[in-house]
Amino acid sequence: MSFLIIQSLVNGVILGLLYLLMAIGFTLVFGIMRVVNFAHGEFYMLGAFAAYFAFAVAGLPYPVAVAGAFGGAIVLGAIIERVVFRPFRGDELSGMIASIGLALILQNLALIAFGPDPLSMPSLVSGAYNWGGIILPKSRVVVILGSMVILAIFYYFLMHTRTGRALRALVQDREIAAAYGVRVELMYPLGLALGAALAAMAGAFMAPLFGVSPFVGGTPLLKAFIVVILGGLGSIPGAVIASMLLGLIESTTSTFFGASTADIVVFALVIAVLLVRPSGLLGHKEA
Amino acid sequence: MLGQLEVSNLIVRYGPVEAVRDLSFSADAGQIVALIGANGAGKSTTLKAIMGLCERLQGSVRVDGEDVRSRPGAALAHGVALSPEGRRMFARMTVQDNLLMGAYSGQGQRPQKEVLEQVYQYFPRLKERRKQMAGSLSGGEQQMAAIGRALMAQPRILMLDEPSLGIAPIIVADIARIIHEINKDTGVTVILVEQNAQMALQLASRGYVLESGQIELSGTGEELLANPDVRKAYLGT
Repeated sequence: MSFLIIQSLVNGVILGLLYLLMAIGFTLVFGIMRVVNFAHGEFYMLGAFAAYFAFAVAGLPYPVAVAGAFGGAIVLGAIIERVVFRPFRGDELSGMIASIGLALILQNLALIAFGPDPLSMPSLVSGAYNWGGIILPKSRVVVILGSMVILAIFYYFLMHTRTGRALRALVQDREIAAAYGVRVELMYPLGLALGAALAAMAGAFMAPLFGVSPFVGGTPLLKAFIVVILGGLGSIPGAVIASMLLGLIESTTSTFFGASTADIVVFALVIAVLLVRPSGLLGHKEA
Repeated sequence: MLGQLEVSNLIVRYGPVEAVRDLSFSADAGQIVALIGANGAGKSTTLKAIMGLCERLQGSVRVDGEDVRSRPGAALAHGVALSPEGRRMFARMTVQDNLLMGAYSGQGQRPQKEVLEQVYQYFPRLKERRKQMAGSLSGGEQQMAAIGRALMAQPRILMLDEPSLGIAPIIVADIARIIHEINKDTGVTVILVEQNAQMALQLASRGYVLESGQIELSGTGEELLANPDVRKAYLGT
């Protein structure tokens, strides 16, 4: 019984980290470009495939696979901003529709290239830690630590570097940021590239746990959406709380009551929170 | 001495409305120049047009004889910094991060740290509150932060849009004193846009009165303060 609780807590933390990696990129792209990016989940999917081919097929070391997913997503994200989103700048609705189109294109390209069957990715490391009866698979510990390191690096970048400060300023007041020399035409592609890279790294980390197929991006996208709304649009602390809450509730409920009950509980919770606090747990009145 | 500004025949249009109509004015290096006028006279639009934040239909902006193009960041590169109307702080960033955003472009000769210390000397309150979110400051403190942010760009020309708007009179006097001090210490040219004509004309060595997007009157600060029309329209006496 206690093993089950610990196991489901660990899984909950992993889910929470996954949702957080997804949600931060999603909310960053929305804040900077004002685009609800429905293609965000496809970057997760591409990251999972990149890790699969680099690690499981080509036999490269895992950190190299993650770095490859990061680099590839940065380049792809910047190109996509230029080609797909730039024509719709200032037009939120068209930007959103373009992102749905992009999601369909990416998913179907993956389907043509890799086929519909789920591929299984081997674990990074085998074995388990045993701390006084608490048994943790090493592969899960690696996923947790890896995600935390990425989140910490990203947080440092956003809060303590010149470019990170400019991105935050741009989210809050584009005109004044521009008046102080922030170049929007560089920050837009950077924002989308970073969002895509966070999603791709989430995909690379989670591939061994959740499998690899052209359709794996849907659920993380949906959960990122929920986290952002539940935590409050644009609030990073809100996203941290919401994703951990979501992950833990989902994991413990599905361990003890089954997966479909978990979905019911999660969505009921979201509705309840929004009834009481329409702008989310830590949201600002104005988006 | 650098920081000479010359705006000639400026026209700005919002849709069919001409917000600024053939407006010309100038400021010598190191001068404080006031633009006064009622709400909607085109004062803020003029500053925005100088900064390249709204499109100039016609007219030129020159800083020290060099032409400034009409796009965001162009005026900044020529050493013009704006403290905007309504202060426009990045509310969910700390006071210090707001100030550092002023230095984002990285121009100016002096090290950023030194300029930051100087801003904190002018506004000790900002130093006390440097780790607070800018949105949690009072109106007067936000105004100080907005001026400080503009100073961080090490401007030759400092443009202040309504620094007295919505601020308690005692703090307005404080801010006026500090504007005077900054001008005297650093020799920066100050373009002061105000509805508070009293405060602006007392500080300024030259003033322009705007009406419906045009210059109606100009003169020294004292001349305008003594002018019966100005007194009647803007000072209520």
